[in-house]
Amino acid sequence: MDGSSFLGKLKGFFKKYQIEMFILGTFLGLWTLFFLINPRAFTNIYTYTAYMSHVPFMIIPVLFLTYVIIAGEIDMSFPSVIGLGGWVFTAIWGLTGSPIAGLIIALVAGLLAGLFNGILVTKLHIPSLMLTIGTMYMWRGAIMITSEGLGRAVPLKRTTIGQIFVGRLGRVPVQIFWAVALAVVTGIILSRHKFGTHVYFSGDSPEAAKMLGVNISRVKIIAYTLLGVFSAFTGVLLVLDLSTFWPSLGEGYLLLVISSVIIGGTSIYGGAGSIFGSVIGALLIGILQTGILASGISGFFTDFVIGLIVVVAIVFQSIPRK
Amino acid sequence: MTPKNWNLIELKNVSKEFDGVIALKGVNLSIRSNEIVGLVGDNGAGKTTLVKVLTGVYPPNKGEIYIKGKKIDNLTPQKARKLGIEVVHQQRAVALLQPIWKNIFMGREVVNFLGFLNVNKQKEETERLMKGVLRFRSEAVTPDTLVKTLSGGERQGVQVARALYFDADLVILDEPTTALSITEVDKVLDYVRSLKKEGKSCLFISHNISHVYSIADRIVIMDRGAIVEEFRKKDISERALFDQMKTVVKAGS
Repeated sequence: MDGSSFLGKLKGFFKKYQIEMFILGTFLGLWTLFFLINPRAFTNIYTYTAYMSHVPFMIIPVLFLTYVIIAGEIDMSFPSVIGLGGWVFTAIWGLTGSPIAGLIIALVAGLLAGLFNGILVTKLHIPSLMLTIGTMYMWRGAIMITSEGLGRAVPLKRTTIGQIFVGRLGRVPVQIFWAVALAVVTGIILSRHKFGTHVYFSGDSPEAAKMLGVNISRVKIIAYTLLGVFSAFTGVLLVLDLSTFWPSLGEGYLLLVISSVIIGGTSIYGGAGSIFGSVIGALLIGILQTGILASGISGFFTDFVIGLIVVVAIVFQSIPRK
Repeated sequence: MTPKNWNLIELKNVSKEFDGVIALKGVNLSIRSNEIVGLVGDNGAGKTTLVKVLTGVYPPNKGEIYIKGKKIDNLTPQKARKLGIEVVHQQRAVALLQPIWKNIFMGREVVNFLGFLNVNKQKEETERLMKGVLRFRSEAVTPDTLVKTLSGGERQGVQVARALYFDADLVILDEPTTALSITEVDKVLDYVRSLKKEGKSCLFISHNISHVYSIADRIVIMDRGAIVEEFRKKDISERALFDQMKTVVKAGS
């Protein structure tokens, strides 16, 4: 038995994280490919600072959507909650002049939006796909009505709150540190906390978990609520970073975020997945976006390629294994 | 030590009706401490309803339930578990994609004051149970092994280990040997014997008379919601039990 030797441990690690290792390999492979296609762009520091400034906006919702999908549900409404968070922040700041008040009320709005999804899904047993398509349009519609479909300038990037959330540390965008910190916390909670364990049980074997006293409804409501709060947070970060609120804020993130989670090895059937995988998934989607543009191919290809990868990933997950 | 012949569980005249359909009528059943009671009966005899009444899933319409000599009203599944009643379900009470160490502690994790798992403790206890009581032979099976890679019998072993760790007094095994191969059945029967050795009581429910006969101290036959026969194992041969069962089923049809 070489289970205790270094090589044995390494083998065990690779076996346990084979999906994560596979996508990490794909990520490095893609990076090399894009590097070879356009070495000038990929040796340029600005490519990387741009990457680090936009990838966090994907990573943050990705973390919490991972919880929801592992718990056996889905949320299509988070892009609208990103928009809602951004809009509430903008509106409250406009009314009161206080970005702090805007931030807090935006997070509360996100919390309520998430709670609403969670309660309806668990208490009324509504299929989450249909419900959250409904809330997706509902919140987007509410933004459109109240903002009259118009954007707003939000020049707060140079203020303290702007510096804290989307400023620069040297050349590194601060938002990447927020994303990394949240990834570490959510990862530890998923693998080492009672709540994380119950998230897995909820998606894997809800019947067993219920029999043994796990409150699945509560687990799912918390997962939805966290996704709501942090989607709204992402909305605030986006408004600060762009110095602008657009009524369509967040719309592009539906495919990007869901595909990051799926590519990262989280099972579409629930019960399996990891934060590490999802983060690598997001990095991979990010490098695809950057790489496709940098290699001079039309940006129209981005959606096609990402969609194709998602289909392939889902097909792989669904092939019955012995 | 608890004295022998001490009634751990007692059902007195328990009846259960669903919309006019009588599922249990006047059931009297007692299970003594450190006793294995085998419960046999045809489909629809009321075995599953009886289990659900015992575990607090269904409240009885009539009758009384005594646990450790105390009359229990409004039994709920949580209460039943607190009072030391554990159920081993065929396959359903395990999470297949999770490791054994998480499954054993499902719903009752060992956590610190912030709710973080005591992973080492859970793994050590799992290892101790696997090597001790369960005698999982394969070296390849560790606490980290995912339950989906275990055999049907071993999956029930995980549930037996759970019952042992949480110090259940009565372990109810609901059709534990159905759909298992012969070697797997042997494993499950072995688990039941280890439960007895650890001083537990068992209610072993099965269609299969020879499985029940090989481990039970006492055998109870149910038919159409009532207990119709009751034997101590030493008073009846397997053959006679089989004939008795056939007579009961025939009389019912």
